[in-house]
Amino acid sequence: MHAQAPSAREYQVKAVFLFNFSHFVEWPSSAFGSAESPMTIGVLGNNPFGSYLEQAVAGETMDGRKLVIRYCSDIKEALGCQMLFINTPGRTKEVLAALSGKSILTVGDGEDFAKNGGMIQFYLANNKTRIKINLTAAKAANITISSKLLRLAEIVE
Amino acid sequence: MNKRIYHTRPLSSRPKQAIQLLWVAVLLLGAIPVFSQVKDPTLDLKKLSVEELMNIEVTSVSKSPEKLTEVASAIQVITNEDIKRSAATRLPEALRLAPNLQVAQSNSHDWAITARGFNGAPLQNNTLADKLLVMIDGRSVYTPLFGGVFWDVQNVMLEDIDRVEVVSGPGGTLWGANAVNGVINIITKSASQTQGLLATAMPGSFLEDRIGVRYGGRIDSNLYFRVYGQHFDQATSHLPNGNDAQDQWNMTQGGFRADYAPGSRDQLMIQGDFYGGKEDTAGRTEVDGQDIVAKWSHRYSHAGELVVQAYFDRTWRNLTKSVFTDRVNSYDLDIQRNFSLNRKNRIICGITYRYQQDQVNNTPTLLFTPETKDLQLFSGFVQDQVSIIAHRLDLTLGTKLLHNDYTGFEWQPSVRMAWTPSLNNTLWAAVSRAVRTPSRLDVEAKTPTIVTPPGSFLSENVISYELGYRLRPVENLNFSIATFYNDYHDLRSINTNQPGPPAFIFANGQKAQTWGLEISGNAVISEGWRLRGGYTFMNKQFQKTSPNVISGSDLFEGIDPNNQVLIQSITDLGRHLRFDWTGRYVDNLVQSSLTAGVPSYITLDARIAWDAKHYTISIAGQNLLQHYHAEFGTRQIPSSVYARICVRF
Repeated sequence: MHAQAPSAREYQVKAVFLFNFSHFVEWPSSAFGSAESPMTIGVLGNNPFGSYLEQAVAGETMDGRKLVIRYCSDIKEALGCQMLFINTPGRTKEVLAALSGKSILTVGDGEDFAKNGGMIQFYLANNKTRIKINLTAAKAANITISSKLLRLAEIVE
Repeated sequence: MNKRIYHTRPLSSRPKQAIQLLWVAVLLLGAIPVFSQVKDPTLDLKKLSVEELMNIEVTSVSKSPEKLTEVASAIQVITNEDIKRSAATRLPEALRLAPNLQVAQSNSHDWAITARGFNGAPLQNNTLADKLLVMIDGRSVYTPLFGGVFWDVQNVMLEDIDRVEVVSGPGGTLWGANAVNGVINIITKSASQTQGLLATAMPGSFLEDRIGVRYGGRIDSNLYFRVYGQHFDQATSHLPNGNDAQDQWNMTQGGFRADYAPGSRDQLMIQGDFYGGKEDTAGRTEVDGQDIVAKWSHRYSHAGELVVQAYFDRTWRNLTKSVFTDRVNSYDLDIQRNFSLNRKNRIICGITYRYQQDQVNNTPTLLFTPETKDLQLFSGFVQDQVSIIAHRLDLTLGTKLLHNDYTGFEWQPSVRMAWTPSLNNTLWAAVSRAVRTPSRLDVEAKTPTIVTPPGSFLSENVISYELGYRLRPVENLNFSIATFYNDYHDLRSINTNQPGPPAFIFANGQKAQTWGLEISGNAVISEGWRLRGGYTFMNKQFQKTSPNVISGSDLFEGIDPNNQVLIQSITDLGRHLRFDWTGRYVDNLVQSSLTAGVPSYITLDARIAWDAKHYTISIAGQNLLQHYHAEFGTRQIPSSVYARICVRF
């Protein structure tokens, strides 16, 4: 069975998932500068979403905060995000190590992303999107994930 | 005494005509997709819950089959979405959405369904179609009594169906016995895909009411379950003179499914159902049944898999008027293994053992001797998928060997080839042999006029030559063409019994050739408008191989339309409003000595719905273009409407 190149649809769906995650996750108040700070969703590494992330958050708010997309070129920029999609093949382990303990929800779709400490990992099963959640990593970062999302995920240690 | 009085007198003509005109106007409006303001698909996706997002197929709206056995076959798939966006309320109605199936409703509770011909002649509106293998999650549902399916008791909850795979053509090698003309494989969603509460209620005119509830939960990480229950009451069909046919019925069914994945390599599934119902005035026919299925699959590290499945199935049917009762207990064990022998060869092999006990209470007019019969079926198959040129040319060779109690050993070999000259472009060809082993009706049935000598009835067999082409020129359009030529031998015939009495026997005195063309397609015309459908053509000719074959034997085996067309239109009008319609054309059925002819008909189902996150409200109409029409036999199916509310949490 030959691997297929990801289709536009795959990343449209993942972009909407990222937007949805913001409703199922609680960050500690220290993750935001102030009550008026926006929620920043960042992409570190190659951007596979095109403009889908902007489309997904257009006109939306989360808890009264505006939603902003930031394309980060290095870890320093990434530190200002509350949610970070990590697409740095070959360097993911180091990136996750550098971010460990920070209150940033890390999301990725590399094969061992959750095993290496990433909090939410996308994978495909039967042509459909599924998620794995590393609860330990989330707890270490003081991030609470709602049971409604945990119910739909495979939990990874 | 049955207290309910079933009123299905036709409405006076003027309001009915007005309703029909209204539907046509709405149809014309809905067919124009200009109302779809949705330009970017992301907006569509944002309306979905996380569970629904997880159900989206990410490579394309209509996926091309990937398994080689599917690529080199005339397979068509009905998805859960296709069923939801139609007016189907029960499984047989959902099967109409496969263009390669002949689906005809013969009365309020019975259906004649087949592929590539041989919808057997109706006897009092019951069909004898016996050349299709039908399975629900791997459990065969055809009866050993006549080799066909009692569709009144196949009531899978439509909301729980993931997809229906319909393969027209012989599936004798890979699938079980009886797969002469095709295989219908109904696959339900796993428990993890049906979490939360779903409840639905539908009042209507022909479908008088239906209620369904399903709840899915999670016990442990990796252990999901669901339980469901449904009940419906269906009104009577009509006789040609307009009177009630007195065939109203009701059915209650419930069941569960649990899925457990202890690791990433193992999956265990257990499911069970039970049902009970009454049919016809004063509950003249009673049915009930139970089944339980368990399946374990284990994935090996080098792309190999082992699947073990076992099931128990019990069906009971009691015709109180004639005091004919039939009870079947089936026990089945199936083991399948697939693995890669080397880089070029992928092997699938398996064995099956099935034990069935059929117990009949005879009546003076229909007897089976012996009354209780034990039947054993052993079968094994092996198949090699050879990759001759990687990703370009594949050849599949396989055979099944089965042993049954009536005719002993039978072979079903098959050769299939698929050539993919460029991406999304496949030409395939196949030659296969398939066999229909005798059923109890062929061997052991006796009526006042038919007595077949024991041991004389042979298996029917077919050699099928198929050629097909599948094309996906752009991501949102795909279509496929399949042609076939089937050469049948030893078909059942009704012969005079000389020297006389009794008058007739079942024998294998006919042969036939059938040929045809199946075209199907799926297209996303614009954002928010999808069309799917197809055209099927089929013709056949019979020859007698014995001078004793009575005339009309050919039509007894199959009365089939030459042409049929299906078009389904699915439209999203904005974020919530939905408008869907399905149009069908079916050619006429010829008259035979046992049955009246059925004229050709065009019919239309339509549905308007409001989809919100936690509920859907819809109104739908079925068979809207005529007050009544017949599809098989003489019973008239009425046009009808229903309303539906479905809530989800």
